[in-house]
Amino acid sequence: MKPALRFIRIVPYDILCEANGKKGAAWKMDCKEAILLMHDELDGELDRAGAIELKRHMLACPACRERYAKLEKVGAYLRSLKPVAAPPHLTTAAIMQKLPAPAKRAAWVKWPRRHPAATVAVVFLVVMLGSFLSMWNQNNQLALQGDLDHVVIEGRTVIVPEGETVRGNLVVENGEVQVNGKIDGNLVVIDGNYALASTAQISGSITSVNQAVEWLWYKMNQLISYVAK
Amino acid sequence: MNFVETRLAKLARNGDRRAFAELVDLYKDKIYHLAYRMLHNAQEAEDVVQETFLRVYTNLNRYDDNLKFSTWIYRIGTNLCIDRLRKRRASYSLDAEVSDSEGADWYSLLPSDDRTPEGELILSETQEQVRRAVDALPEKYKSAVILRYMHDMSLQEIAEVLDMPVTTVKTRVHRGREYLREKLERDSLL
Repeated sequence: MKPALRFIRIVPYDILCEANGKKGAAWKMDCKEAILLMHDELDGELDRAGAIELKRHMLACPACRERYAKLEKVGAYLRSLKPVAAPPHLTTAAIMQKLPAPAKRAAWVKWPRRHPAATVAVVFLVVMLGSFLSMWNQNNQLALQGDLDHVVIEGRTVIVPEGETVRGNLVVENGEVQVNGKIDGNLVVIDGNYALASTAQISGSITSVNQAVEWLWYKMNQLISYVAK
Repeated sequence: MNFVETRLAKLARNGDRRAFAELVDLYKDKIYHLAYRMLHNAQEAEDVVQETFLRVYTNLNRYDDNLKFSTWIYRIGTNLCIDRLRKRRASYSLDAEVSDSEGADWYSLLPSDDRTPEGELILSETQEQVRRAVDALPEKYKSAVILRYMHDMSLQEIAEVLDMPVTTVKTRVHRGREYLREKLERDSLL
């Protein structure tokens, strides 16, 4: 089959203008563009230049004039539907009554709102203290620190045998200490007891710490003395 | 910017119920009008008004002062209406035209016990047709057209209420207007 020849009619600019009864006038817009401008105009969004162009087009184009008139009328019809007031029984009081009672905020809600920084600090401290205490309670295994070559461990008891000499400090956590020999330094007992035999010789001091707070105090003292050094 | 309303909202937020009552006073008719036009049902419109104020009230502490109070409350009201329209569409459609009877839809077949609000005066035949045309608008054009024409909002204001770009609103108003033009033309009103 032979493809149908398609004729494209090219209308010269002058003739187009004449056909629209506006000889010589600028014919820039087609109707599609004009319709967009109409809507802009109806929404109060068309600038002066656009308004002039639209007017020029509509003067030349009866179809667009008609279209614009119709769109304008749509607006008028819509506006003819007057505002509807709420029914008389829907009073302000009735609406207010159905709202939940004013929430009386307790002081413990108000205070944090006013002092956010202090709230954060308090929460931080509580959490820290909590985790510290729980760690304290969890940790009840025997722990030793110091010269381990010269001590004997029996269950939870750490014995410094007679005739032996422990060099340096001896720190025992969660256990009993039985000192029969010599300690060339300090003895620190945390959460536990110590017993000294008559043969015991301790060149340093003996410190016994039994509670979390005391332990903390001890640690802080240690830190301070370390820093002071 | 309406500073009075923003101030009232702030007072209400701090628990001043009288300030909130003033806001209710200012907006209950406007929201009712919006809901009634959106839903065309007195009972539902009433529910929307109540629910709108409930939401405003419970969300006061989330109210952003940069937004006009009117924009905010219209946004809440419009969203509630749109939700209802969607639910309604999901369950049944009264808007569907009855086959073989010109222009009639299922609303016209309902027994007319539909409570007309006191404010709605008897509509002329023409107004009734216009009302029906608005009812038949697809929901995305409906809110834009109603806010534009019945609440006299600019495209910019509508964009803020619907929380969408102005260009989208513009298209919706344009299409809505064309839709109504065609419909009213068919009803030989134009």
